[in-house]
Amino acid sequence: MFKYVVRRVFQMIPVFIGVTLILFILRAPGVLPGDPVRMITGERGMTDALRQQIIEKHGLDQPLYRQYVIYLGNLLQGDLGESYQRGRAVTEIFADKLPNTLRLALAAIVIEAIVGVTAGIISAVRQYSFLDVLVTLSTSILVSVPVFWLGMLFQIFFGIKLKEWTGGAFYLPISQMSSGEFPDWAHMILPAITLASVSTAYVARIMRSQMLEAMGQDYIRTAEAKGLTRRAVTFRHALKNALIPVVTFVGIDFGVMMGGAILTETVFSWPGVGREIFLAVGQRDWPIVMGGVVIIVFLVMIINLLVDLSYALLDPRIRYGGGPE
Amino acid sequence: MTDKHGASPPHGTNGPTDVEGHEIRHEGTTLPTLPGGLHETTTSRTLWGDAWGRLRRNKLAIAGLIWIGLVVAMTITADLWVPPTFGDPLSVNTTPGANLQPPSLEHPFGTDKLGRDVFSRVVYGARVSLTVGLLAVSISLVIGLLMGALSGYYSGILDAFVMRTADVFFAFPYILFAISLIAVLGPSYRNVFIAIGILGWPSIARVFRSSILSVKENEYVDAARAMGASDIRIMFRHIMPNAIAPIIVYGTMSIGGAIITEAALSFLGMGVQPPTPSWGLMLSDAKSLMFAAPWLTIWPGFAILTTVLAFVLMGDGMRDALDVKMKD
Amino acid sequence: MSERLRKSIALLLVFGLAFTVLGLAGCGGAEEEEPEPGEPVSEGPFEGGTFNFYISEPAFIDPVNLQESEGTQVGQALFDSLVTFDPVSMEVQPAAAETWESNDDATVWTFNLVEGAKFHNGRDVTAEDFKYAWERIANPENESEISYHLSAVKGFDEMQDGSATELEGVVAIDDYTLEVTLNYAFADFEYVVGHPALAPVPAEEVDAGDFGEMPIGNGPFKMSEPWAHDQYIKVEKFDDYYGDAPYIDGVEFKILADQDTAFLEFQAGNVDFVPIPTGQIQSTIDQYGESPDGYTSNPGEQVVLGGELAVYYMLMNNTDDVLSDPIVRQALSLAIDRQAICDTVFEGTRSPATGIVPEGIFGFQDDAWPYSKYDVEAAKAKLAEAGYPDGEGLPTITLQFNSGSGHEDIIQLIQQDFAAIGVEADLAGMEWAQYLDMLSEGTYQMGRLGWIADYPIMDNFLYPLFKSGSADNYALYENSDVDALLDEARITIDDDERVAAYREIEKMIGEEAAVAPIMFYRHTRVASDRVNDGVYSANGLYDFQRVWLEQ
Repeated sequence: MFKYVVRRVFQMIPVFIGVTLILFILRAPGVLPGDPVRMITGERGMTDALRQQIIEKHGLDQPLYRQYVIYLGNLLQGDLGESYQRGRAVTEIFADKLPNTLRLALAAIVIEAIVGVTAGIISAVRQYSFLDVLVTLSTSILVSVPVFWLGMLFQIFFGIKLKEWTGGAFYLPISQMSSGEFPDWAHMILPAITLASVSTAYVARIMRSQMLEAMGQDYIRTAEAKGLTRRAVTFRHALKNALIPVVTFVGIDFGVMMGGAILTETVFSWPGVGREIFLAVGQRDWPIVMGGVVIIVFLVMIINLLVDLSYALLDPRIRYGGGPE
Repeated sequence: MTDKHGASPPHGTNGPTDVEGHEIRHEGTTLPTLPGGLHETTTSRTLWGDAWGRLRRNKLAIAGLIWIGLVVAMTITADLWVPPTFGDPLSVNTTPGANLQPPSLEHPFGTDKLGRDVFSRVVYGARVSLTVGLLAVSISLVIGLLMGALSGYYSGILDAFVMRTADVFFAFPYILFAISLIAVLGPSYRNVFIAIGILGWPSIARVFRSSILSVKENEYVDAARAMGASDIRIMFRHIMPNAIAPIIVYGTMSIGGAIITEAALSFLGMGVQPPTPSWGLMLSDAKSLMFAAPWLTIWPGFAILTTVLAFVLMGDGMRDALDVKMKD
Repeated sequence: MSERLRKSIALLLVFGLAFTVLGLAGCGGAEEEEPEPGEPVSEGPFEGGTFNFYISEPAFIDPVNLQESEGTQVGQALFDSLVTFDPVSMEVQPAAAETWESNDDATVWTFNLVEGAKFHNGRDVTAEDFKYAWERIANPENESEISYHLSAVKGFDEMQDGSATELEGVVAIDDYTLEVTLNYAFADFEYVVGHPALAPVPAEEVDAGDFGEMPIGNGPFKMSEPWAHDQYIKVEKFDDYYGDAPYIDGVEFKILADQDTAFLEFQAGNVDFVPIPTGQIQSTIDQYGESPDGYTSNPGEQVVLGGELAVYYMLMNNTDDVLSDPIVRQALSLAIDRQAICDTVFEGTRSPATGIVPEGIFGFQDDAWPYSKYDVEAAKAKLAEAGYPDGEGLPTITLQFNSGSGHEDIIQLIQQDFAAIGVEADLAGMEWAQYLDMLSEGTYQMGRLGWIADYPIMDNFLYPLFKSGSADNYALYENSDVDALLDEARITIDDDERVAAYREIEKMIGEEAAVAPIMFYRHTRVASDRVNDGVYSANGLYDFQRVWLEQ
């Protein structure tokens, strides 16, 4: 087990270097149009003294390879540099954003797991029933909906129209503001549902097919023959087996949501990690872009590892050894 | 490279990538068969005839096919009937009161802020979406097949290198990667499909690679090799025919993914540039007018939904019809 | 199945019914509570209440780098500079300085500070605190982007290049007398020191750290808690403030990511003052009423549409092969239907620009630029005069712009206007970063820019934008006569003479159509119905001292 973890960690290193290298190539002069130093004052001119000061401070006068080495060195000490635009440490900026992203992602994961798994089970147990058709059709629709559009529709409907129609009696808050009328978490409902929409569809689909496959397997048939009731069979055996790919998906999805929720965050003005990085790309604020991606990639890798290890809990047949692949 | 232990952790597997960066994952499992596509055993002569027979019975897939056909027909013939009837999608009308008209007989989807006909723009937007979808997937296919072939057929260092590169691509948050690429290339119509195309290759490469791996060990490939067939010949004669089905299914689904990604990038201002009518761009314009002019939000989004859905249903149907097990 | 279906239908009905009942109840309630618009609700002014003010995340709230609108809004609540501006007339008024005077050639300025004014930590504000604050800005190590405000001050250049560690021209004569010596005569300098960034700063608090997160100022409000990034900045009434005490208890600057959300929150009753998204301006006016003077809001007169000290203009590269010909520039400028842009894109809430200096600046002239108007026939005539009858022989013009902020709408209208006189134009939208590169390198052909005044003076629209070699002169306009006159105007002490000189300069530049002004900005904001006497000034700062809230 330990050996396996070590091997996985070593496998991460080249990927990690690859990602940071790509980012460094992007910021090399001439690759990406837009001078980051010029962006700091925008259309207003900048004094040469200030320009020189900024260039030296951020080490932009060094050759690129040295900047890379310095960056990696600082990274190992947990230093992600300082934002060009705002003069704040990147770690501080993300310390503010990460909890927002984490909360939203957790809420979305809970929704996708509960709704997705339930829908998948119902649809598998009642295969070809009306409910099954409904679930499969809605999952197809859900994967085809652009999330930002869904977010806009939610805002129009739950944020404003419903309030108009019910004379203010019913609506859902849209942004982070607690007006006292709602509990603090209420503003998370719409963004979380939006963020969870596509994943819920996948979870339902995976769950359904896994359940069908598991229920068709020999040992389940055996169990059934031994006189266990259908319900017991489904839940004891099939469910446990079917959950493995679902856990995999949910785990990876959680990682993806950490950095990939730019659209949901944009539509709901959610001050999260993804949106921060997106805006920083536009501003050429490299320390934020680099730091953000590094944090996300790191988190995703950790989560992947945890997901892998969790298989052992779900399926005792799996043992991790250090053997050849 | 692929983990051989029981449950393979599918770090970044195949699948068209949707806008939030989740991938449509098939994780060693078949996506659920849509109920419309119940298999009925038929005894056709060929694989393709057989498949077509099955596809024909899948009502949803056929509905998707018809819808795609309709959209294609509309965009091809648009120049003939749309501008004369509803107005040019580009021509601005500054007559007072001409802009932000709610839907009417004259303008079935209303008009936008600059007084342009929304219906006309939605129709022309389909042109952008379909073109970007097709071209992006073609680029992914070219790069992906090449890379997949290299790594699947030759193995060794080459395989390791290609697959590690793919890992890096998967580790990078998808939409951020797309945005960074566009930032380098500059946001434009052409660069959008190039960027989406480039980002799509690793999935295709993986699908193709695993197909090759499963075919390569077959005796007839060994036999062909023993008879002195060239690598190219083996590839096209023996491997391609067996690997083509998953690629087709996969490509169809990817078109839907590419269309959504284009819309998302344009929505963020990193895609197709105005005045070109693109559904994502139209939604981006609609954002500040969500309440004043909801028709600006409804129709472009509906167009994306239906078109992508059509490709998803088609893909599902073809997967069932071709009996593809989407395995890693 | 059928039983299940029946159950579901029943459940659905129950929900539907509940909804309807709730809705009706809500409607009833709303009807009773809503006051008639226009009807005076109360007497007032009342004290107390927290004003909820929308901002986006500021870059800085520390005066050392108070550079953009959002941070400046917070900064002006926390700090008082030497002088301030009347929120409506933009005239200079005393603030931290009671009186001030300059010598005869406007090179030495003496400010007499209010005695007994206190910082939020209880210490008296002295002239040394101004000297410290200004040197902090001029010190290149602090990377202040607004150090140019002090560029006229003697010793500034030496501090910038590192050869001096203090501002030679700034001297604290005694605790309450500050003397400022300038490098050159600058008669408008009293306007410069009104910028919120040039406020006094207590050195001991900066040394204590965290000043950037929780600045200690001398203004009417103090920080209640450190800046909660991306959430809010809370300030509360400062009891020992030297000036008039505000009515409100405090301001909560609510940080929201964009204006659309802010407007939704406004509609939900959570924010008191927000920008109105385009497309909803007319309906907002219909619903909330328009402020008579465009700056002051009261219940029933909540929409403010007053002029801002800003101009939106099209840059024409004066060194371009085609556009270097003033006649071509004149033709293009005449071809643009500014009214249509204001009406279509901004629902009539911006006004067509008649020159480069906007309304609201003292010295504004209604007909400054003869070519900043819409006249298709004249445009065609000019085009023919330049040797391109009906656009024949004229190469396609490229209209560059930064996309994503609504500029594409304006540029598309201009493209259509150009087509009307036979000039073909391509659009080239790009990211802001890339666009900025192009402007700075002068590699664009025709572009757009907005210019917002730092101080409400004509100089601010002429000197930076048209002086040859100025970093902000992106049009690359060069005219040695104009250069000389600009320098001369700055040393003209007499207010009337100076304004007359600037007016003349504005006309000279306009004659050559150096750029094509498009429109003057106007506010498009709305206040909630509990806001009384709320003034949003022409320079975009909210007057939190006079406003009071309905209880």
